[in-house]
Amino acid sequence: MKIYVSGLYSGGNPQPGVGIIRSLRQGYPNATLIGVEYSNRVSGIHWQDLDDLFIQRPWDELDLDLYGEKVKALLDGGAFWISGSDLEAMWLADLFPEGHRNLLAPPMAALKRIGKPAVEAHEGLPVRIPTWISTDLSDWELHAFCRRHNWRVWLKGPYYDAARTPSWDVFEAARNALTKVWSTQKLFLQAHVGGYEESVMLSAYKGELLGAVSMRKRDITPEGKTWAGDVCDVPEAFLAPLRRIVKELGWTGGGELEMVRDPRNQLWLLEWNPRFPAWVHGATIAGTNLPARLVQAASGVLARPERAESEEFTRVVLEVPVRADYPLPPLPEPFAGAIGHSMKHPSGLPSLAERLHKRDAAMIEGEELEDPGGEPPKVPETFLADLSAIDFEQVQTPEFLFMESTAESLFRKANERAHRLSTNQTQVVNAYSIKTNPDPRLIRLARDNGFMAEAISLLEVKAALECGFRPDEVILNGPAKWWPEGMMPKERMHAFFCDSIADLERTVAAMEAGEMSSRHVGVRIRTPNVVSRFGIPLDSPKTFRKLIEGVKRLPRDVKFGVHFHMASANIGVAQWWHLFESILKWCRSIEKLSGRSIEILDMGGGWFPDDWHDGEEGDFARAVDTIRALLPGVRRIVSEPGKAMAQPSMALAMRVLEIQEHEDDYVEAVVDGSIAELPMYFFYPHRMLRKCGRTGEWQPLRRGKTHLMGRLCMEHDVVAANVKLPEGTRPGDLIVFCDAGGYDRSMSYVFGRG
Amino acid sequence: MYSAADNRLDLIVDEPRVLDRPCPSARWESFPYSCIAHHGADCCDIAREWVMAYDFAQLNGADRASGPRWLRKRWTWGPSPWPIHWCEAVERDTLDCGALGCMARELFAERGLTSFPAQFVQQYTDEATAQWLGKWEAEKVSAHWIDEDVIYHEACALVSGEGEVKLFDPSAGWWVNPRQAGGYGGLLAVRIFDGEGRGWRWGDRILRGGEWTKVAERA
Repeated sequence: MKIYVSGLYSGGNPQPGVGIIRSLRQGYPNATLIGVEYSNRVSGIHWQDLDDLFIQRPWDELDLDLYGEKVKALLDGGAFWISGSDLEAMWLADLFPEGHRNLLAPPMAALKRIGKPAVEAHEGLPVRIPTWISTDLSDWELHAFCRRHNWRVWLKGPYYDAARTPSWDVFEAARNALTKVWSTQKLFLQAHVGGYEESVMLSAYKGELLGAVSMRKRDITPEGKTWAGDVCDVPEAFLAPLRRIVKELGWTGGGELEMVRDPRNQLWLLEWNPRFPAWVHGATIAGTNLPARLVQAASGVLARPERAESEEFTRVVLEVPVRADYPLPPLPEPFAGAIGHSMKHPSGLPSLAERLHKRDAAMIEGEELEDPGGEPPKVPETFLADLSAIDFEQVQTPEFLFMESTAESLFRKANERAHRLSTNQTQVVNAYSIKTNPDPRLIRLARDNGFMAEAISLLEVKAALECGFRPDEVILNGPAKWWPEGMMPKERMHAFFCDSIADLERTVAAMEAGEMSSRHVGVRIRTPNVVSRFGIPLDSPKTFRKLIEGVKRLPRDVKFGVHFHMASANIGVAQWWHLFESILKWCRSIEKLSGRSIEILDMGGGWFPDDWHDGEEGDFARAVDTIRALLPGVRRIVSEPGKAMAQPSMALAMRVLEIQEHEDDYVEAVVDGSIAELPMYFFYPHRMLRKCGRTGEWQPLRRGKTHLMGRLCMEHDVVAANVKLPEGTRPGDLIVFCDAGGYDRSMSYVFGRG
Repeated sequence: MYSAADNRLDLIVDEPRVLDRPCPSARWESFPYSCIAHHGADCCDIAREWVMAYDFAQLNGADRASGPRWLRKRWTWGPSPWPIHWCEAVERDTLDCGALGCMARELFAERGLTSFPAQFVQQYTDEATAQWLGKWEAEKVSAHWIDEDVIYHEACALVSGEGEVKLFDPSAGWWVNPRQAGGYGGLLAVRIFDGEGRGWRWGDRILRGGEWTKVAERA
């Protein structure tokens, strides 16, 4: 009996071939086992249990038609074939859509129903699928998904590879890399599920489940791959639906369901692989030889009885002799002027992905996209109304545009919400963070809509006062409240939050000396495991005790308060709400231990506009109720929406200077804007509109192969990557970057203007 | 605050090992679980409040039933003197399993979850226990928890479902595997204190509150 086994890669992220070979040798000592590989660099070809090798040229060279005929001849001749590679299994399924009696791999219809990430076939199993979205969606929506899931998300390719993307720039880099490697735009973002990883491995022949085992990872590699595990029976509640599903799919071959078990014991299915896992021999050691069962079912030849040696298995690193007829190839030349060697994918698997994609993209990825540029982001009506009101003949690009009606409506809505959330007992007010954009038009809008002014320096206090704020409507925050010297107002301010114990002591002394006055004096606190340089840290009992002692020393005629600030756009929305809850716990402890009641609670900020304006008002209402319940002494809740007000309130207009067309539809368009006007480019996507020179219509930019290069002679001055300029775009055309009114505006700098 | 630890005694029972007893060493047969004491003053109030608030911050939005693995990061497992008070415990670099087990219970309670004290007997080797004995004696604290090659250890049982518990070992920062077969580090016996004496499912086993349950044979 001849059995061909592929997938012999045995590096840190190994394929299952060697494990399958070891298990088959145990079940069939006299079988002829032939290793299939597409590179002689793969170390598994030297494994001692292999009787022969069937080494092919890498997938990028291989003549697939000829090779297909050869494989068919082998199978027709009575040999069996067990695939240890997802992509090879897909190619084989394409070659034999209805299967072949000796091909021990799943048919195409089954593969189509286990596609990531939805794994359609999972219905009935006691598992859930982690939340995911396709990267077909606009960047605006992808960014929202990342925020909603606290930036604990994975960008995954359609076949292999997953990259943790904790920030927008990392996401963009990973998307470019995965798209390039796997020749597809069809990636997906999936929310991370915390817990312990476990798998179910199965073996089936023509829809009959031959066996299944469960494995919990007990040790993992740095990549999270199994290094050791324990093996046990699959519970009947899982096995019964699995048996039914395997029958429905007409499954043949090995398979693995990779899952995470969360702290509440819920299983989450990450993927269903169409092959045995690399730990397959671990199950054989534990007494369940699934490859042998598969061959037994297909051949009718009885395998040797299974024998359990242990319920657990682990890996070791072994050196084995190299086969004389397959000497090691030399290491590739190191990267010129860089570090390391190019060693990835010696068998050219990405090339197979590209070739399969070209043959039939729908085969492995579902339906082909009608528009590979993705959905254009939705632009609010007020943006278009504001832009229509601007005479662009007078605009000297690059120039920031004030989106007047957008800004007015945002401030008005924020004021209305604060009113709705207020009660006789507790007043909810907004505070405008001047640093987000000190434009007097925005400061006045804040004042006119009942906001307080939140300043981080005395210059900002001055700006607020000049725009009509009274001193008792000003909140001072941050580590530089006393700067510049001599500008501290003598009038009573609304609140003064100290950034350190030293700041608290200085403030108490200054108040006693009559150098300043504030209705509320409080502290900004920094909770543990939040990376920040601001506020009083609470990461040791010693600092906590110092804080309590400091609060106790505050004059009794001053109202006490607490401030906390963390950018929800950076840490994610759910994480921000957890932080909020955590802060309330600290506040309760501070009240209890200091004997001082908290009368003002100031909560910031850094809200992404959509999360704050379109977020569930119920969340804010619940937050206010929670504050009232836990801190009944709070009379005033200050909400700092931060950039949620400023960011949509301005846009940046720029013009196309030059369009450079390169190979493979890649385009570089030089614009007169730059990262000097868009320093936040790396942190979030901007919605972009092109004004059609002919019709005057505002056309949203989709994703594509164009990079918008800034005017600066700086290598990293790329203001937009992977966009698609509408048909007919030419030099002189106007492009508007929306969402540029926050830190883009306030942190923009003068550069390259002489 | 009452602390059983205040009354903790080193019980040296001079009797031969009885192998069919669930608890392999007679000296821990009736041993009380540990509790951190409270001075009834600000010092311990501040320390305890800090531990509770710190735990919630460390949860980082994860499920409340997640193990408080930060305990192991914050305190190295090692000798601690008994009785110990909250204000003393938070200042130490090392805490023993009794103090960490007590903290884990208090944290789960603060999170609104039900947990019980858990006592283990585990087997190591004479070499390992000799090392520990030397370390504990050097610190001049009791090494009552060592008996030849077996040790007494404390952890925490978290109610994870109807009639079901999981065992969290805060000294190690992991959930104890219910599949145990003895051997180095293996669990030989376990006892949880539910105050009711009812049976709790732990893997395939039933642990009865207040009673030692034999898990594996001493090698």
